[in-house]
Amino acid sequence: MVMEQHTEDNIEKDLAEDRAWAESLLNKQSLSQFNLSKTDAPFNYFDSFSDKVMQRIEREKIEKTNSKIFFLPSFMRPINKWAVAAAFIIVVGGSFIFLNNSVSKKTEASIVANNISLQDLSSEEIETYVDANEWIAEIDVQTQMQKENARLSSLDEKQIEEIKKTITQ
Amino acid sequence: MASDQELIIQFQESINREANFTALLKKHQQKVYYQIKRMVTDHADADDIAQLVWIKIWDKLDGFKMESEFTTWLFRIAYNETLNYIQKQKKQLTSPSNNDLIEYEHATASSDSPKSTEIQIGLDSAISQLPEKQKVVFMLRYYEGFDYEKIASIVGTTIGGAKANYHQAVKKVEGFIKQL
Repeated sequence: MVMEQHTEDNIEKDLAEDRAWAESLLNKQSLSQFNLSKTDAPFNYFDSFSDKVMQRIEREKIEKTNSKIFFLPSFMRPINKWAVAAAFIIVVGGSFIFLNNSVSKKTEASIVANNISLQDLSSEEIETYVDANEWIAEIDVQTQMQKENARLSSLDEKQIEEIKKTITQ
Repeated sequence: MASDQELIIQFQESINREANFTALLKKHQQKVYYQIKRMVTDHADADDIAQLVWIKIWDKLDGFKMESEFTTWLFRIAYNETLNYIQKQKKQLTSPSNNDLIEYEHATASSDSPKSTEIQIGLDSAISQLPEKQKVVFMLRYYEGFDYEKIASIVGTTIGGAKANYHQAVKKVEGFIKQL
């Protein structure tokens, strides 16, 4: 108890010394005048200040409640960022796998198309190919057929006759 | 009158939260406002910052563990909010305008000698030129009579740092006044 009193006395003494030192350098009257000019407020300002603060708190509470409608409830909020991250990974990863798969199918299809001519294949083989390669194969077959048509239309009558003979033989 | 601690405990236990908070606010509102106004000068700015401070106190009071004095915590929030506000505004809120100087001249002309008026204007100008931390330390020490431990907690420095800031502030203001 005595110790506490002694410490408090010392604190008071230090404060008095600090104030006296400042006043000796900066003029006591000016210092107190400065404080007066900084510690004035409009008339009745403090009487209504608490009401003003409480109204603003109420307003912010309502705004917070309204904004919560569009978001997850507070107990789920920590999950929020993980859900966003997971969705991002699924979208990006899924797109990568899908695109990669399509490209490899396309490549396989074009290799086959370049090496085997359509007329060398039986209709059964074509059907099996189409079933296995779905829509990509469909596109390939159509492209190949268009190429064949273009080749046939460029032939003259003599060449057509020769082909007909070979087929009938 | 109930102590800060009693009001805070009742608030935290959800007993008349609004009434207890208002009692706490009314008890300290003037000191907080004056402290802010010493840093920003303009009433509208000081009023806005003071409201922000008390809204923050309302939001955070449930988590206040009473490891420090309530006023230390309160003044620290007020100091930080004021600094944020000044940085956001990006304008010299603390520089005395011509109107301030005219007000000073008018206020002191009737009772003081011309020399005293000059010192008065010089002091205001000099204090406004101090770095924010030195200014606050000087105000809290000289006008509020806070001990250095409390000031150090408010401005986020050591006790030695707070003492150094007070002495530097006084010496700088003296230097500014001598130049006038």
